[in-house]
Amino acid sequence: MATPLTVPLPQLQRDTRGRERRARLVPLALLGPAIAVTLLFLYYPLVFIVRMSFTLADTFLRPTGAVTTISNYVAMADRYLPNLLVTLQLASLATIVDLVFGVPFAYVLVRKVRYRNLVRAFMVFPMFGALYIAFGMRFILLPGGPATPLFEALGIPNTSVLYSLPSVVFAMSIFTFPFMVMNVGTALSNVDPTLEEAAACLGARPLQTFRRVLLPLTRAGIVAGALMVFGWSLGTFAEPLLLGSVNEQKTLAWTLYLKGVIQLDYGLSTAMGVVLLILAFGVTYFSLRYSRGALVE
Amino acid sequence: MSTVRLESITKHYGQTVAVDGLSLDVADGEFVTLLGPSGCGKTTTLRMVAGLIEPTDGRIFFDDQDVTDIPPRKRNIGFVFQTPALFPHLSVADNIGFGLSVKGISKAAIAARVDEMLAMVGLASYGRRLPAQLSGGQQQRVALARVLATDPRVLLFDEPLSALDKNLRDSLKYSILELQRRTGKTAIYVTHDQSEAFAISDRIVVMNAGRIEQIGTQTDIYLHPRTPYVAEFIGANNGLPGTVTGREGDGDDARILVQAGTRELRCRGRDEFGAGEAVIAYVRPEDIEILDGASDRQFENVLEGTIDRVIFEGPTAQLRVEVDGRELRVDVSGNQRLTLMQRDGRVRLGFDAVTLIAAPVPA
Amino acid sequence: MTASTASSDTSAVRAPGPRSIVGRRRLTSRRMVDVVSHGYIWLCLFVFVTPFLALLAYSFTGPGGTYAIENFQYVLGSFGENLWWSLRISGLSIAIDLAIALPAAYAIVRYPVPGKRLIFSVLSLPLYVPGAVIGLSLVITYNFTYHLTTSMWGLVFGMVVGTFPLMLTPIIVALKDLPIAFEEAAECLGASRWTTFWRIVFPLIGPGVSAGLMLAFIIVFNEYLVTLFVHPSEITTAPLRIFNLVRTAGLLPTTAALAVTMQLISFASVLLFFRVFGTRYFKGTYLI
Repeated sequence: MATPLTVPLPQLQRDTRGRERRARLVPLALLGPAIAVTLLFLYYPLVFIVRMSFTLADTFLRPTGAVTTISNYVAMADRYLPNLLVTLQLASLATIVDLVFGVPFAYVLVRKVRYRNLVRAFMVFPMFGALYIAFGMRFILLPGGPATPLFEALGIPNTSVLYSLPSVVFAMSIFTFPFMVMNVGTALSNVDPTLEEAAACLGARPLQTFRRVLLPLTRAGIVAGALMVFGWSLGTFAEPLLLGSVNEQKTLAWTLYLKGVIQLDYGLSTAMGVVLLILAFGVTYFSLRYSRGALVE
Repeated sequence: MSTVRLESITKHYGQTVAVDGLSLDVADGEFVTLLGPSGCGKTTTLRMVAGLIEPTDGRIFFDDQDVTDIPPRKRNIGFVFQTPALFPHLSVADNIGFGLSVKGISKAAIAARVDEMLAMVGLASYGRRLPAQLSGGQQQRVALARVLATDPRVLLFDEPLSALDKNLRDSLKYSILELQRRTGKTAIYVTHDQSEAFAISDRIVVMNAGRIEQIGTQTDIYLHPRTPYVAEFIGANNGLPGTVTGREGDGDDARILVQAGTRELRCRGRDEFGAGEAVIAYVRPEDIEILDGASDRQFENVLEGTIDRVIFEGPTAQLRVEVDGRELRVDVSGNQRLTLMQRDGRVRLGFDAVTLIAAPVPA
Repeated sequence: MTASTASSDTSAVRAPGPRSIVGRRRLTSRRMVDVVSHGYIWLCLFVFVTPFLALLAYSFTGPGGTYAIENFQYVLGSFGENLWWSLRISGLSIAIDLAIALPAAYAIVRYPVPGKRLIFSVLSLPLYVPGAVIGLSLVITYNFTYHLTTSMWGLVFGMVVGTFPLMLTPIIVALKDLPIAFEEAAECLGASRWTTFWRIVFPLIGPGVSAGLMLAFIIVFNEYLVTLFVHPSEITTAPLRIFNLVRTAGLLPTTAALAVTMQLISFASVLLFFRVFGTRYFKGTYLI
């Protein structure tokens, strides 16, 4: 009946009114402090260390100006590649452990358990800090400690358990376990339970339902969880330090601390920092692509 | 207690035009309803009067004051939302007194006014309660009390009853009308429900696609629709397209002859139609009578058709009759509706009142 | 929330009609699956809590393996200063977090900011940077540019930048849940945006704000990594003290007592919060 209303915008006699113009300043002012703090205390320092990583060690302070070089990275690749590899290895193993144990846990939690809040209350314990986990585990595994009788019964020498890869990975996976469970759990709870019922009515066995219905639908959550665990594990300190052997479990993060803060070798340590950063960002990029960041629509 | 004047109000959202050059004059103390389907721009218009949305073009006046650039809180309006929007953490009394408390009025004065308002909406002892403890209807009454407490110039209602169930809607709409009469405030009401609009308005503004189709009283709109949209949107109507062939008679007996399909209709036309002009002849279902035979009145127009369907609705019965390839709807009440249940086959229809509206130009 | 046993869960599974042998067998295997599932959950939970329990047990041992409560007195005494610093730094950090997160969240939700997704990502970035990198970058920048190495504020802002995004999310969730009709109603009644915010919006987003505060508190309170890099030499927070002690002096009951105290305080705040506000506001923060 009426003529279509998608007319092109006519030239308005008035420009933006006072109210609209003022309204644009207000959100910027509200966001200001947050952006300022982030810029000052995150972005600028990060840029700073990137620059520094390309600088020859003490030349940074020289009045004649800094010397740009990639020697830090070369040195890193030369001497500290094992550290990087150890870091990657630990992170990967922790992720695998979390996947294997976390996904079923999430499934049981979401589908079968009614006392979810109780479980959540328990699950905050690991999140207080890897430090306490590592500390506690070290105590348990010490020769002469509470676990000694168990080990003797199994015929395993104590020290091989304590300062070794398995205990470090175990502690790391405890700390990051909640992250995995949360991601997978959220994805699972978004899957309509009637889908599983429909599959069962159509004759699928539980394992088939899992493989062909649940897994594809929760894949995003699983990947997001794995990536988050991996990312967090890259920067870890306490577990390798307290539970690992000094020679074997030397992580890049710890070496970074030693070089940067103790030995004041800024060039080298910032190079390590940048490498860690790139790794973490790569992981983040992929995880954000997979997860649904639907918070700010 | 103001008049409201909208001067050529327009609202664009990017490429879409929500409201297109709308002008309206609301008299002091008048109850005007904006009626239309969802998406027609009535809520957008109301929100512009409130100041919650800024018009892209046009001005708004309360009395003679240009309020277009004034934010809502300075316009002294009362806005009743679709949901009661009572502040859940404040008591009923605090809710009602909110508008006064932000002006810094003394606590004693606020308390007195709150009591007055509670009495006015019939919730005298409910002051201490929390909104969650009230029913939907009670909440909406508190919302009314809340906006009246600040003695606004204009009351604005955005489909306030659509979230309530039918019985509540019926009783509450008269409460709204009664409050408006008692306080004498200018009211602009938005709804898509025709019976609601008809029950309480002084005038109705029928809107469609961002424009006003017709403004008038209930009888104006129902008996004398000006556009095909209004004719078809308000109540049920049968539209027969045709061409004007001539005029006959004068004064009260003046008739316009329209060739619609194979029949010639005699229509009472108010406006001037030129010969050959394309028109649509509208006749309401309740104005058509089934001709039985002997005791028939003489009608100006008689058509013959075949019964398609008979639908018994309780107080009325609906007949769908096929005439000349078109389906006409005939509403019958009283005893005749019972005898019609057995009817089948050919039937003769008679009617007098035909409204002529110029046919729209094809797009 | 009581722990459900396998039998109460299988009540829904009871097959109607005559109990045939086949029915009973199916019942048993489903029952077994339930038992295994719940058992698995409890096993994992036990594993989570074990380090804490071990430390708890250890913290009560005295010299020569006797039962001793003096370790906790030691916590208040010698470690008291560390605890005090931890509380102080945490308090300051979450206060600053709130001061910058609240307006930012409001701007993101209620205003048509161009590129708000980008802004949100930019503000959330600290969550994805490894702690060691944050620590290193801050200590270097503090050294060379900001000259904050000897100030408490260097540590505080180091904490703020890492936890502020975590506070942002619950507040955004709470704001999104709040129907905008409330603010519009208040505005139409004559309230300014400022008044509307403090009298209407803030009380109604209380749970979200508290969730953010609690999250940030837990993290800053137990933080040792960035602290290690950035702390001025006079300030040693409790977790840092634990870290240093374990590395240098080995395992001591007193250290264990401090660790236990820290965890108990953290756990208590979490429990209190869940009791009062429920778990709604933690969605998306990876605590839930």
